[in-house]
Amino acid sequence: MTHYSSRFSLVPVGTGSFSPSRTPASASEIKDFLAFALGEEHYALPLSSIREIMKLPYITEVPLAPANVIGIISVRGRVTTLIDMRRLLSMSELQPTSKSRVLLVSKGDEVIGLLVDRVLQVYRLTDNEIETASTMGGEQAAYVTGIGRPALARKGEVIPENGQQNARFREQLAQTVDDSIGVEILILLDPDTLLQM
Amino acid sequence: MLTRILIVDDSSAMRAFLRATLEECDDLEVQEAENGFQALKLLPRGEFDLVIVDINMPDINGLELISFMRRIEKYRETPLLIVSTEGSEQTRSRGMALGANAYLQKPFTAEALQKIVADMRGKQRGKD
Amino acid sequence: MVDRKDKGEGIREEFIAEAQELIEGLSRDLLVLDHAQQQNAVDPETVNNLFRGVHTLKGLAGMFGFSKLGQLAHRIEDLLEDLRLGRVVLNQSVLDILFEGVDTFQRLLAEAKNPEEIAEVDIEHFERSIKALAVNQKSSSDIIAEYEIDPGVIAVLTEYETHRLRTNLSQGITVYRLHLRLSLDVIDTVLKQLKERGRKVAEIITYLPSMSVGPDEMIDIDVLLASNSPESELIKVLDQSESVLSVIQRRTPHVPPPAPTVTIPEKRDAQPVGAAIEKSDEPSGDGFAIADRAGDPLSLRSVMNTVRVDIRKLDHLMNAVGELGIVRGALGRALEKMRDVPGLNTLTGELRRIHRSFERCLIDVQDDVFDVRMVPLGHFFNKLGRIVRQVARENVKEVRMVVSGSETEVDKLIAEELADPLMHIVRNAIDHGIESPSERESRGKPIAGTLAINAYQKGNHVVVEVQDDGRGIDPKRIKQAAIDKEILSKEQLDEMSTSELLDVIFLPGLSTAESVSDISGRGIGMDVVKTNLARLGGMIELHSEVGVGTKFTITLPITLAIISALVVEVAGRTFAIPLSTIQEAIKLDPRAIRTMEGREILTLRGTTLPICRLADRFGFSRETKRSRQFVVVVVHGARRLGFVVDKLRGQQDIVIKSLAPSLQGTRGIAGATDLGDQRLVLVLDAPTLLDEFAATSRTNLLQESLS
Repeated sequence: MTHYSSRFSLVPVGTGSFSPSRTPASASEIKDFLAFALGEEHYALPLSSIREIMKLPYITEVPLAPANVIGIISVRGRVTTLIDMRRLLSMSELQPTSKSRVLLVSKGDEVIGLLVDRVLQVYRLTDNEIETASTMGGEQAAYVTGIGRPALARKGEVIPENGQQNARFREQLAQTVDDSIGVEILILLDPDTLLQM
Repeated sequence: MLTRILIVDDSSAMRAFLRATLEECDDLEVQEAENGFQALKLLPRGEFDLVIVDINMPDINGLELISFMRRIEKYRETPLLIVSTEGSEQTRSRGMALGANAYLQKPFTAEALQKIVADMRGKQRGKD
Repeated sequence: MVDRKDKGEGIREEFIAEAQELIEGLSRDLLVLDHAQQQNAVDPETVNNLFRGVHTLKGLAGMFGFSKLGQLAHRIEDLLEDLRLGRVVLNQSVLDILFEGVDTFQRLLAEAKNPEEIAEVDIEHFERSIKALAVNQKSSSDIIAEYEIDPGVIAVLTEYETHRLRTNLSQGITVYRLHLRLSLDVIDTVLKQLKERGRKVAEIITYLPSMSVGPDEMIDIDVLLASNSPESELIKVLDQSESVLSVIQRRTPHVPPPAPTVTIPEKRDAQPVGAAIEKSDEPSGDGFAIADRAGDPLSLRSVMNTVRVDIRKLDHLMNAVGELGIVRGALGRALEKMRDVPGLNTLTGELRRIHRSFERCLIDVQDDVFDVRMVPLGHFFNKLGRIVRQVARENVKEVRMVVSGSETEVDKLIAEELADPLMHIVRNAIDHGIESPSERESRGKPIAGTLAINAYQKGNHVVVEVQDDGRGIDPKRIKQAAIDKEILSKEQLDEMSTSELLDVIFLPGLSTAESVSDISGRGIGMDVVKTNLARLGGMIELHSEVGVGTKFTITLPITLAIISALVVEVAGRTFAIPLSTIQEAIKLDPRAIRTMEGREILTLRGTTLPICRLADRFGFSRETKRSRQFVVVVVHGARRLGFVVDKLRGQQDIVIKSLAPSLQGTRGIAGATDLGDQRLVLVLDAPTLLDEFAATSRTNLLQESLS
């Protein structure tokens, strides 16, 4: 039985800053990604870059703020900027739903919230399953590191034990993941480049 | 028998030292005044058995306090110990002339203070 | 002597803390003295404060076994003793010895704190300098004997008090005896008040407790005071009921009273106290603001009545109080709900009363906690004054330091962080900015350079400006230095505007000094200054004109502040407006609105009040016009502006939290606050909004910005 109540329990996970890897991984390397949906498109960020997953708190609109900023939220009393991933990726706006989530990621000393439509699940991808940006044809946005093509349809991918994330984070994940959606293509994002925008 | 002591000194570190040293002895109760004004207020309330007074203090100096105490019936017999940095023989003799019972020049050791206080308590007890 | 091992760390800490405070007090008094000497208005009390401070320091150092400190204090004490007894005349060499002495105390104390920091001190050097001073042994016949003063009184005066009595009498200043009868309950407060009031018009020589304590616990006190003011004036100022003021008369009626002409002091530095104090009480536009506020309550006692607390403990306290505010809010909401529950009336009423008193206490605690953390910048400017003196002396330059705004208060942490950058800038200004006296003369400038330091509060920030009238920073030289040091390419530099070129000095590795002196050349550069300030959320700007001078402007947040705010609603959103900026809030009468040059105005008590619809300003879609709106009138400097809001939700104390770095550029928003329901509310930066409003309407951009 869990004690995870409907209140947000915000446990910081992973203290060090992550280093996004845009270099091709060695053959044996396996990477974990957290997949999320924006409308019909599926994206993923390196799992190590995600500090927390939050349900949607009260958002305070900030007038005259940069366009991508949807407002500010309180994370354990800390005023945190919330960025709308839809606006960031130039997609049409959508009213948040009960499935909307906030991913907390680091940018320098700051922790920034990213609003996504829904969180899918963790994918563990081998090199063979990643098509790096450099080998992809056509122009790619700088924040796209590659395309993930999970070889197998994965139901309930095992949540890794080896990361910095603690048990509570895994619980947050377990509560959130939605593996009902079959994913063929994952757009892999580089959080640092993304947040430069 | 409990001995109640009033320390009058404008230096807080000095008061802390005096208190710590005195409280190593048995049956002592220490109160502090950081200036003459406060001492005037505490004196009538305290039934002190010994008053330790610094000389060089702002406003009401130690000599004035001693002179005041000696002119008042109630405090005429209260043992008075001067602890002062004043080295001059003049200050010392003036203090004693005004009615202080003993003089201890700073710097002094904890033992010296304890000894002189013990002596003064002994004398007082002998009188009683 | 105190055995440092046996007595434990506690007492040793006491010693260090008190010694530190004493030395800081000495440093302040010395600056006051330095300034007073230049004005020929030395207050004897300042010298006496210095003496007493050094005397106490000597005693402490002896007791706690710091012999070097004790020996030096002894030498300096002897000098101050001669000075306060009039045996030595205050002049530049005396001041130099005293300044050097206080600096050395500081170094010796650093050694006491950390024995590895060994301070090299040449005590004999002090001894020699002191011996070289001329001592004047006055052998005047004792004037005191000519006056009707009880020998019993003379017997208890210290040598200094006797000296002051003698000096006043020989200058023809009237000495009074004020007889008071005081209850023990109030004796310390009344005497303290008397002291404060008395010092404005008189020099209090001493207090003499006398007579017996009756059954009613009253004490008689005689106060000896010297004053040039007439009796009636003294009685008015001292304002003591049941007191008797009498003049101390000459004994021999044959000797005529001193003629008025005699009252002119012979020595210029021995002016009557009253005059000296009145001078320093003036709100001085030029000169040392240090003397007015920080200089006043400088008695050592006030310095010692302090406790040193680790700032982190205050942080904890502050956070805890912030949490309490949230609890209070939650309690209030629970009470609101209870009101509607039938059958709980009595209980609710009782709880409501408790809640109200809780609220009152909390406000007090918040005020106190906030207050405890705040320090006036004056403390810090005092130290800066010493640096200026020292650097100017080492550079053989004449520098006049003008300080204003030393009463501006900032959080202690901020003040500490301000220290290094400011010292660096000040050193630079004297070292490189202000020209040598001969160079200044040849350029037709006053020989003494001016270093103006001006502090003020602006919104949630404190601004400190450091301005000199020196040679200014030459962009051409910066350019050359940047090329020489390969910091930037010539092409990059060629494209830069003058102000961009000036900003190059904030890049690592650049120094414009042709020769690096040992003063500003040591240690940090402007790049570090800039980085350190940025870390605190502050910034630094530079303006300079060749031949005219240089001005650095440092802006820093004041603190994480608890402030009172008015909570309002605009287009369904909640905002907080700091109460300190609000003049009043009134109901908006739409019929009273007029339009002038494209902007809406109201007439408020005969004056024009421009109004700004916050919903428009923030680009919120205009809802159907509300029937009732309000105008919150905010003031900033001479300007006023009315913010039109939909609803006034009441006054509340809030903790302002700053926005994250990604949003820090947002104009018009001072920060955010949590009203206790985990919902953030934006706090408006009224001064900025006002300034922007004024700017946009001046250039007729109002309509554009609204569209």
